Amino acid sequence: MSSKQANLLQGTLDLLILKALGAGELHGLGISRRIEQTTHGAFLVKPGSLFPALHRMEEAGWLSSFWGESENNRRAKFYRLTKAGKDQFEVETEEWTRVALAMTNALKAT
Amino acid sequence: MKLWSRINSLLRNLFRKQQVERQLDDELRAYVDMITDERIAAGMPASEARRFALAEFGGIEQVKQTVRDNRAGASLELLWQDARYGLRQFWRNPGFTAMVILTLALSIGANTAIFSIVNALMLKSLPYSHPERMGTIYTRVTGAVASDERHHVNGEQWELLRDEVTSLISAVSGIRASGINLQAGSHVQYIFAGRVSAHYFDVLAIHPILGRNFSDEEDRPHGPKVAILSYGVWHNIFGSNPSVLGQSISLKGEPYTVIGVLPDGVTTPLNAGVYTALQPSHDGEGGGTNFEAITRLRDGATWQEADAEINRAWLHRAHRYELENNPGAQLAYYSVPLQKGQTATLRPQVWTLMLAAGFILLIACANLAGLTLVRVLRRTPEVATRLALGASRWQIQKQLWVENLLLAFVGGAAGVVVGLIALRGLLVLLPERFLPVASVPLDGRVLAFTLLLSLVTSVLFGMLPALVTRRFDLRSAIGNRTATGGDHVRLRQALIVSEIALTAVLLAASGLLIRSLIHLQTLPPGFNPDGVMTARLSLDDARYHDAAAFRKLLSESISAMRRIPGVQQAAVGLSLPYERSLITVGPAINDGKEAGQLITADETYVTPDYFAVLQIPILLGRSFTDGDGPDTQRVAVVNQTLVRKFFHGANPVGRHFFKDTMIVGVVEDVAMAPGIEAVAPITSEPTLYLPAAQTEASLISMAHVWFQPSWIVRTASPVEGLTAQMQRALASVDPNLPFSGFYSMRDLLAKTLATQRVEVALLSAMAGLALLLSAVGIFALVANIVAQKTREIGIRIALGSTVRQAMVHTGGPGVRASLLGLALGLILCAGALRAMRSVLYGVGVYDAPTIGAVVLLLVSVTIIATIVPTLRIAGIDPATTLRDE
Repeated sequence: MSSKQANLLQGTLDLLILKALGAGELHGLGISRRIEQTTHGAFLVKPGSLFPALHRMEEAGWLSSFWGESENNRRAKFYRLTKAGKDQFEVETEEWTRVALAMTNALKAT
Repeated sequence: MKLWSRINSLLRNLFRKQQVERQLDDELRAYVDMITDERIAAGMPASEARRFALAEFGGIEQVKQTVRDNRAGASLELLWQDARYGLRQFWRNPGFTAMVILTLALSIGANTAIFSIVNALMLKSLPYSHPERMGTIYTRVTGAVASDERHHVNGEQWELLRDEVTSLISAVSGIRASGINLQAGSHVQYIFAGRVSAHYFDVLAIHPILGRNFSDEEDRPHGPKVAILSYGVWHNIFGSNPSVLGQSISLKGEPYTVIGVLPDGVTTPLNAGVYTALQPSHDGEGGGTNFEAITRLRDGATWQEADAEINRAWLHRAHRYELENNPGAQLAYYSVPLQKGQTATLRPQVWTLMLAAGFILLIACANLAGLTLVRVLRRTPEVATRLALGASRWQIQKQLWVENLLLAFVGGAAGVVVGLIALRGLLVLLPERFLPVASVPLDGRVLAFTLLLSLVTSVLFGMLPALVTRRFDLRSAIGNRTATGGDHVRLRQALIVSEIALTAVLLAASGLLIRSLIHLQTLPPGFNPDGVMTARLSLDDARYHDAAAFRKLLSESISAMRRIPGVQQAAVGLSLPYERSLITVGPAINDGKEAGQLITADETYVTPDYFAVLQIPILLGRSFTDGDGPDTQRVAVVNQTLVRKFFHGANPVGRHFFKDTMIVGVVEDVAMAPGIEAVAPITSEPTLYLPAAQTEASLISMAHVWFQPSWIVRTASPVEGLTAQMQRALASVDPNLPFSGFYSMRDLLAKTLATQRVEVALLSAMAGLALLLSAVGIFALVANIVAQKTREIGIRIALGSTVRQAMVHTGGPGVRASLLGLALGLILCAGALRAMRSVLYGVGVYDAPTIGAVVLLLVSVTIIATIVPTLRIAGIDPATTLRDE
């Protein structure tokens, strides 16, 4: 991870993945690219973090996977949100908003 | 939902590992390929694009490993890896593995077998509904002679219990089932019959599958003759024919009406094949304490209420036999659980065995601790390497514990097999009807116990090596080839000291029992037991309640037996030497200075040749003759103990007792099983011999309910087919009287000493096992020292030490530990063996020959176990060993 990129906070990666999949199913590289795009390059998710997270979230029942064809006809594993994943997204978004607000207020305080 | 998904993936990860791995591989490869595609599309050359993609990916194997570590069941997976690694280690050290598993199998097996008996006797509920509501009654006597035990009850007590104790359903039975003859058609079979009162099966909550239980009317004295069949007898003899109900069958030579059949698989404390109504009364049998009571608490009642009622009912009896010869004593009665009452006499023995088995387990653990310690020390380089490569101490420890557990479980499984075999052997060893339970199962509780035992052993023997590796110093471990601190040898010596100490106690205990048994078996019998064959039969038979019929049977059958070629003499006696006998309480001496003195003695009727057949010496007066008949002067022969006890040793010939019976002779004492006072398994009791021809009809019918008379023949040399000829001789007089068994005097002695033999066999087996384990322990220690010190010994020999000196030097730690253990063991013996006093006969607790034998045995075993491994020293070539380094 290069120095200019922010370290991913614990739990943030899960939220970013859930968000990335909110628009529809994606394969691993797609998720990585979507996160890079939506954060304007602030977070670059390396495979070493991405795949363990995907497998963990799948085992937790938030994601489901299937094998499909990529844009250039490669066989790839696609992920999509399950009902539980959508619920989890709601929960984590709320949590994140609360924390972010609290952090912002804390930093503003003199 | 979430849980389900986790379990699902756990199962997939564990059982479809290859598929999961392949998919992971595909997924990651697709990722790399897609980046490569992107780069190529952006104009990069194919080979460079691939390299770029791989670089950006950053180590496919690491990513895979991170994914694997995060998978559900990853820790299980690691455990499995540890286990597989452990198994490979065991495979590579077959000697060590075999030794450990064998040790565990034997020690856990011994414990499993003994625990099965503890379980069957004390832990398993009785096989009746609501066993906690079942009881029996203990009598507590406090005073000069105190006791606290289950008493048999007499007819008066039974009637009071039945009529006045309303909190309980009560029942009584004869004290044990007795062998009788059942005749069905032309077929006569010898089976066990139990005599039980009405409500006996209600107390046990057993309902007949056919018919009904005994009614109160059927249980009255002189009531109708009725019988209930066990399922086994109904099935085997009556072919499960339901029409047997209401039919008449011939039991004890009389017709009995079958009124019920018990269900399959039920047992009773009497464990009989057929049950008849006891019909108890005040007098006759009920005049003495000849019944055994069992009770069941009625719904809504409490044991306190029941006990209060029993005390109220029984304390106001006019004749309280419990207080005889015990002035100022107090009496109290209380209920105890039936199971406790049934097994009370066996409990101390069983607990002793369990304790001995526990010793074995401790010894085994000490041995295994020593062995695993050596093994862990040998693996020092491996452990050091793993630590240096970044393994955590916890991972090393975990590996060791996983290996210990594996060993313990394999050993435990082998132990169950050994236990099963040992248990079957043990049950074969026990005399028939010795245990008060129908079967000793290896049930779930026993298996759980074995599992627990395996866990405990693995912790016990694994703890020491684990502690040692915790203090592991990485630098010195890598520096040295092996870590051999002197303190490890001392640690193992300490283990051997404790092993030998426990072994010494077990050896001494079994030695004392063996001495005791030898003493009992070699007691002078007072007769000549060689060349005698005896045959027993049930005369509990209506056809022989008449004295004339009884006399005719005896004289004709004895004549028939005398005609068997090779038979010198034949006789009949109600009881035989080595056996229990009928006891007579209270006939008074009529004349002389002992007039009025009451006699309590063994009583047996005998035919005239009884003393001649058994070669019991006549000391004074005469034996019985054919002239002593029903119409002549009543006569008796007494033994020396009776003379000593009741006639102050003076010649009693010519004296009279009881209704003018004259003593005509005095005979030598013979060895008997105790009936009056249980001081030893074989003893001399005062004995009254009466001529069979003068036996009264009332005594004949009552004695034959409890005792089966024996036909005795003496032959000069062994006679081919003697028993069959005896049976034929009897059949020529009465074809419907089968002998129930044939016994030599040696058989009878063995039967009487069965308990002692079982004790000796079991404890000796345990002591032998302990000795073996200890020898293995010493052997392993010394062998290990030899292996470690090869170089040092080489130097010593090179510097001029003789092989002999080197052997003494190396074997020293083993011998010293063993001697210290022996000393400690002897000190332990001084305290522990005192508990055995009650089971020792003719030998003291501190018995010099026994202690000497224990010392000699342990010293010789120690020397052998030390010398064998040190013999290798002779093969050490100093030149080779020194160059080797």
